[in-house]
Amino acid sequence: MTSNQRQPKISRPRLSLCTLLILLTALLVVPVTGSDVTRGPGDVKTGYETNTYETRSISVLNRKGAPADLMRVLQSAPRGLPPVPVPKDNPMTKQKVMLGRKLFFDRRLSLNETMSCAMCHIPEQGFTNNELATAVGIEGRTVRRNAPTIYNVAYFSHIFHDGRETRLEYQVWQPMLNVNEMANPSFGFVVEKLRHFPDYKGLFESAFAGRGPGIETIGMAIAAYERTIVSGNSAFDSWYFGKDESALSESAQRGFRLFSGKAGCMACHVIKEDYALFTDDAFHNTGLGWRFSAGEDQAEIPVQVAPGVKIMVPKKVIDSVGNPPPSDLGRYEVTQDPADRWRYKTPILRNVALTAPYMHNGVFGTLKDVVSFYNKGGIPNPGLDPSIRPLGLTDDEMADIIAFLQSLTGDNVETLVRDAFAAPIGDRR
Amino acid sequence: MNTHKQLLYVVAAMLFAGFFLWATNSALANETGLPHNMVKITGQEDFIHIWTLGAEGIGDEQDKLVTVDVNPNSTQYGKVVNAVSVGGRNEAHHMGFTFDRRYLWAATLDTSKIFIFDIHTDPAHPKLIRTITDFVARSGGVVGAHTVMPVKDHMLITGLSNNRDHGGRSAVVEYTADGKYIATYWMPTDDNLQGAQKTGKYADGYNYDVRALPRLDAMFTSSFTGWSNYMMDFGKMLKDEEAMKRFGNTFVVWRLSDRKPLKIFDVPGAPLEIRVAINPAHDYAFTAATLTSKLWLIYHDKEGAWQAKEVGDIGDPSKVPLPVAFTISSDDRLLWVTTFMDGNVRTYNIEDPFHPVQVYEKHIGPQVNMVSTSWDGKRLYFTSSLLSKWDKKGPDNAQFIKSFEWNGKELKERFAIDFTKEKLGRPHEMKFSSYALYGKL
Repeated sequence: MTSNQRQPKISRPRLSLCTLLILLTALLVVPVTGSDVTRGPGDVKTGYETNTYETRSISVLNRKGAPADLMRVLQSAPRGLPPVPVPKDNPMTKQKVMLGRKLFFDRRLSLNETMSCAMCHIPEQGFTNNELATAVGIEGRTVRRNAPTIYNVAYFSHIFHDGRETRLEYQVWQPMLNVNEMANPSFGFVVEKLRHFPDYKGLFESAFAGRGPGIETIGMAIAAYERTIVSGNSAFDSWYFGKDESALSESAQRGFRLFSGKAGCMACHVIKEDYALFTDDAFHNTGLGWRFSAGEDQAEIPVQVAPGVKIMVPKKVIDSVGNPPPSDLGRYEVTQDPADRWRYKTPILRNVALTAPYMHNGVFGTLKDVVSFYNKGGIPNPGLDPSIRPLGLTDDEMADIIAFLQSLTGDNVETLVRDAFAAPIGDRR
Repeated sequence: MNTHKQLLYVVAAMLFAGFFLWATNSALANETGLPHNMVKITGQEDFIHIWTLGAEGIGDEQDKLVTVDVNPNSTQYGKVVNAVSVGGRNEAHHMGFTFDRRYLWAATLDTSKIFIFDIHTDPAHPKLIRTITDFVARSGGVVGAHTVMPVKDHMLITGLSNNRDHGGRSAVVEYTADGKYIATYWMPTDDNLQGAQKTGKYADGYNYDVRALPRLDAMFTSSFTGWSNYMMDFGKMLKDEEAMKRFGNTFVVWRLSDRKPLKIFDVPGAPLEIRVAINPAHDYAFTAATLTSKLWLIYHDKEGAWQAKEVGDIGDPSKVPLPVAFTISSDDRLLWVTTFMDGNVRTYNIEDPFHPVQVYEKHIGPQVNMVSTSWDGKRLYFTSSLLSKWDKKGPDNAQFIKSFEWNGKELKERFAIDFTKEKLGRPHEMKFSSYALYGKL
């Protein structure tokens, strides 16, 4: 071990002109008031790595709700998206959607009544959690992967990063029963709870033609709500599908050309002729999963202890206060096919500017980190997807791709988030 | 009225006056940070009540209030004499007496339940008399009940998180001493400073401890982190770049009388506990920033304005020793601070509060958290657990209470109880009680 490894170092980052410009831009585009409360955590941490960081915190009381007509997306999907697929055995009704929304935000639906779906899929944080790389479940238990956004989850044919589930109606029960998420001991435990909550009296019966709470109806109600979280008609959609030349900045247009050309992103993030889900619904090895399981450990890890102050902490010190992280072999855990080791599902890119941190393990905090990662060709490993290769993008080209990705934010984000704010949060009374 | 009756009234009046004087005088003493004007144990404490986290695989796995006999004259000295399990693992953390010191409110960071124990009826055997289960709903979404501080016949409770995002924005919640919700005071945020002055760059809305200096109509709060972080595996969190940005960097001075925030100071690196000076001539309080390992002084300047100043390092900040708890002696001369990672206690001479000088250091165990002192400063007690998911793993996960005697030069161990061996769990905060306090002797 070298002396450097024994002696932790404090690093205070110096601001380059470029970094300063990025920070100033960030300050300009992240106002404190107005609709900002619907786009990101209430305590903005942009620039926290620097000495110039200033808080722009928003009171939780400013999370003011405005109920929306969530059924509208079913009549007409937003531009750029196909019709919302609705299973024949779970037709959408307003009562069902409203019941599902109530269930989604009910913290009582966990063993100790502290966790709801919305504690990991936070509306203003892109219906994911911008504040954590990987999720934290009941009693603080470790969840090994990043909480995926539920924006446009209606279109998924594979659910979860490893694609192990096929329908939202089934998916609902996994977090509710997983011991490290909501930890309910049984289906019946949840059903009986709901049968006895006074504020649910008659709601299931009204939504399901007389049927009360049950395995099927609970899953169907939550799935119905999730199918309404559809977001499209972005600036990109207006430009690409709407043929509005003024809708997209020149930088974003250049970014699209790179995305669909030199950078080859579209090989996995597919755009069809009349709609774009930006996913091939397939699984790929980028090397991130491999590095976690089979790569070399770092001797020291930078730890941010205050704004602008990072300390290099020996890994053995961190290990002394942490349990070994659970293993993660990706799609292989579903198929048992060695070729699927460390493969993860291609995510939809819509609203990607709102859903940081990125990748299945939340390892990247910014889109710049993600684009840089792919520009370097991912992480070489025996199963690396052949489409991932060094891209040779310049800094300007990467900035253009980021501008393009930022243009994928739907025009109804505020509507959906404000509607979510209007939902009652279920707590023990 | 006959002579006998007159004599009885006189004796009763004298006894009452004597008790009043004793109580008033004892208020000059400190007993691990209790409010200045609360009655204190001036002599030997008989019991320590330890709010203990249930641990999976240990005993009944539930949180419990454990009572240890600490009177050297007792046959049970150094032994666990009672344990009340409360159901569930709620992330037991801190406790506070009602102002009359008859009831102990034991707060929890996960479920936010508050368990109220009758201490005065039989201090050796506290009885759970009520559980507040609707703290989150009543308070308008405050999660993580932490410090409980009595203000006359009311209780102020700090929250650490909220039910919207499990982040760090939170509030102070007020109840009556008999358990009725009164109000919620959200921490000042940039979009609503509530009239407070943001003296630096930060107004994060985070919260942790609360203390007061009633004679200056001042209340102080510090700032830690939200549920997602304090409940998370510590090692996982340290490696999570996003999570590490979610720590408090503020200290707020409030007007106690109407709970209005006045000034927000930058205190980077999660300032946790607050301890106010005891001497009425000392208009200051300390806090310790745990991530940056700095001691801070919050003081009244010559113009009568509150200021905050960093006054020293605690250990070597580059090694992240994590100062987690501290106490100051009743004469405002010594400050004892524990550092979780190295398991040490450090003693500082704070006679000049602007220039603390370390005068002593001792290793307590592989990990150490809370420290409490007797009012005469002769006895110190240490417990081991920080948070259920932050405690050390493997053989260094020693869970104990240790009692030491301070002779003015060094600490000498008197007894220790292994909470794992006793199948109890993870011991956290301690409160003292005595028979004398409740007139049982």
